[in-house]
Amino acid sequence: MLFAGIIWKNKIMAESKLNKLYDWLDERTGIKEITREALDEPIRGGARWAYVFGSILLFLFAIQVVTGIFLTMYYVPSADHAHASVSYIQKAVPGGALLRGLHHYGATAMVILAVAHLAQTFLFGAYKKKRELLWAAGVIMLLIIFAFSFTGYLLPWDQAAYFGTKVGASIAGEIPVVGPVQQRIMLGGNDLTTVTLSRFFTTHVFLLPLGLAALVGLHLYLFRRATPAGPFHNRDDKKIERFYPKQVFKDSVAILICFVALVAAAKYWPAELGPVADPTSDYLARPPWYFMPLFQLLKYSPGKWAIIPTVVLPAVLFGALFLLPFFDRREERHPLRRPLATALLILILGGSIGLIFLARHQDRTNPEFAEKLKQQEEDMHAYFAKPFEPQIVGGAAAALAASGKAQEPPPAYSENCAACHGDNGEGSPIAVGLIGVSSKPQRSKEDLLKILDDAKPYGLKKPMPESFPKIPPEDKQKIVEWMMTLKAQ
Amino acid sequence: MSVEFDEGVAPVPERRSFLGLISGLIVAGISAVLGVTIGRFSIGPAFTASSGQDWTELGPLDEFAEGKLVKKNVIVSQDAGWGKFQSQRSVWVVRKGDDVKVFSGVCPHLGCSVNTRADKFICACHGSEWNDNGDTLAGPTPRGLDTLEFRVEDNKLKVKYQDFKQAITEKQVLS
Repeated sequence: MLFAGIIWKNKIMAESKLNKLYDWLDERTGIKEITREALDEPIRGGARWAYVFGSILLFLFAIQVVTGIFLTMYYVPSADHAHASVSYIQKAVPGGALLRGLHHYGATAMVILAVAHLAQTFLFGAYKKKRELLWAAGVIMLLIIFAFSFTGYLLPWDQAAYFGTKVGASIAGEIPVVGPVQQRIMLGGNDLTTVTLSRFFTTHVFLLPLGLAALVGLHLYLFRRATPAGPFHNRDDKKIERFYPKQVFKDSVAILICFVALVAAAKYWPAELGPVADPTSDYLARPPWYFMPLFQLLKYSPGKWAIIPTVVLPAVLFGALFLLPFFDRREERHPLRRPLATALLILILGGSIGLIFLARHQDRTNPEFAEKLKQQEEDMHAYFAKPFEPQIVGGAAAALAASGKAQEPPPAYSENCAACHGDNGEGSPIAVGLIGVSSKPQRSKEDLLKILDDAKPYGLKKPMPESFPKIPPEDKQKIVEWMMTLKAQ
Repeated sequence: MSVEFDEGVAPVPERRSFLGLISGLIVAGISAVLGVTIGRFSIGPAFTASSGQDWTELGPLDEFAEGKLVKKNVIVSQDAGWGKFQSQRSVWVVRKGDDVKVFSGVCPHLGCSVNTRADKFICACHGSEWNDNGDTLAGPTPRGLDTLEFRVEDNKLKVKYQDFKQAITEKQVLS
């Protein structure tokens, strides 16, 4: 008894100390007011499972930010090293497969949940009156999510990433008038290069997150200002519950289900990574599933009609979505009493899903495509199953690695050339490296031999001598033959 | 359309609630899983052992002139995350008859490059000096020049390059 009494007393004292600390903190931060603002928001009609989508999206955005930040700890946004660094994250870093899997499936989940959130808001007529800007901000956020998908898709620099983005860039180039300029700006030149990768990276990790974060803030502010719309039937309008605890609980459970699903997906179906991009291969590009409906429509639009599904349709769809609350000004919110709107939603969502399945079906039944796609998938799995192999980096050594075994330079090279061009042709502060020189213009075997006889017509700068009269022709031959073996990795 | 409602009519529930506790546990659980994963991800690779260096060939043994201090470059490979980064390091070879010594070109004091003056090794940074046997003659160096493991195969001299911890009296391999 006495013992229990002491525990009881201690508990009360501990609580009063905690309360004091809370008061102290509140005086300086206003935390009580903030908590009230955050948790005591009244919800017309009470807490509902239908309202969890927005909270899940906010959670997913947080997951993408956190996993994304840490992925950049090893990721290198350069065409030469991006694939090796992603492979390292996926295959070698502890927790890497899970972190990358969360980011990969989190991106997919964001597309699904954003569409679900939009569909729910549309169906409940919650975009009407007072909530026009709230809705418009949401539509822009959906666009940003698609931009995230497009820019993030290229970053691993594997076959699917390279060829998928190539198609995307070509589509951007088809837009009348501004297309070609826009494509050049997007790629940072006229082809998909390491510069493209850099700007996709910057857009993906700096610009888009800043934009989305700002819009999340605006969206939440406008939402709190407008207050939740409540159910469309108005039956429960008298019933009002606070955000905490019931809606908080429903949101938390939904978030937990989503998180468990992401972890399970990352574990049992690891995020894919195929062989490194090879621009010379005849890879059959297929977009990620959420761009499939447009891809399928593209098949029905020959020649100049191609811009209908790629540009016109998305522009009209998003334009209409954006403007929806401004021309749909009826107060009616019940979906069954808005047959046109409801039918349109079902048509667009159902049509999109139908097109995805149709595209899959055609790929499976076309013998030529089916075989090629199967082969690509097998290549991908074969690459994926191989243990991580570090990329070999570094001037002279790369040449040695490429030729398999160290190929010794001829003595004439070591005597006459190595002082400036390096012992193995790696170059030095006073002279260029010779690795990969044979693939440069005007540096064929014949050119190189001529340079050793008379460098003047080639415009080489000092201290490169104009000629080497002391080296016998057969030694010059040996030097050039050896130079031809110096291949960059 | 719906009636306007007065925010005041809904009672503010007690902060302590079972649903609130469950919600808190969910948040804590997810944070823990993420935290542990991120911790392993960030810290793990810092503790992976790097693979040792291969043997690098320095050339035919008899090409090293008797008693001369000869500088040779070797290619070393450094494991770092997604890459094997290959770069060059210098070593010094001294052959006196059958007695061969290969020294690291890194000063054991603070890591500057070792050079030669006449028949001595010197480090220009802080004035350390060693004889051709690697024994300290002068300067702040805590120990003699670091010798490298070598072997002779088919009359070819091969060395195993290593880095050593600086500024301590005993020679300690960095790995």
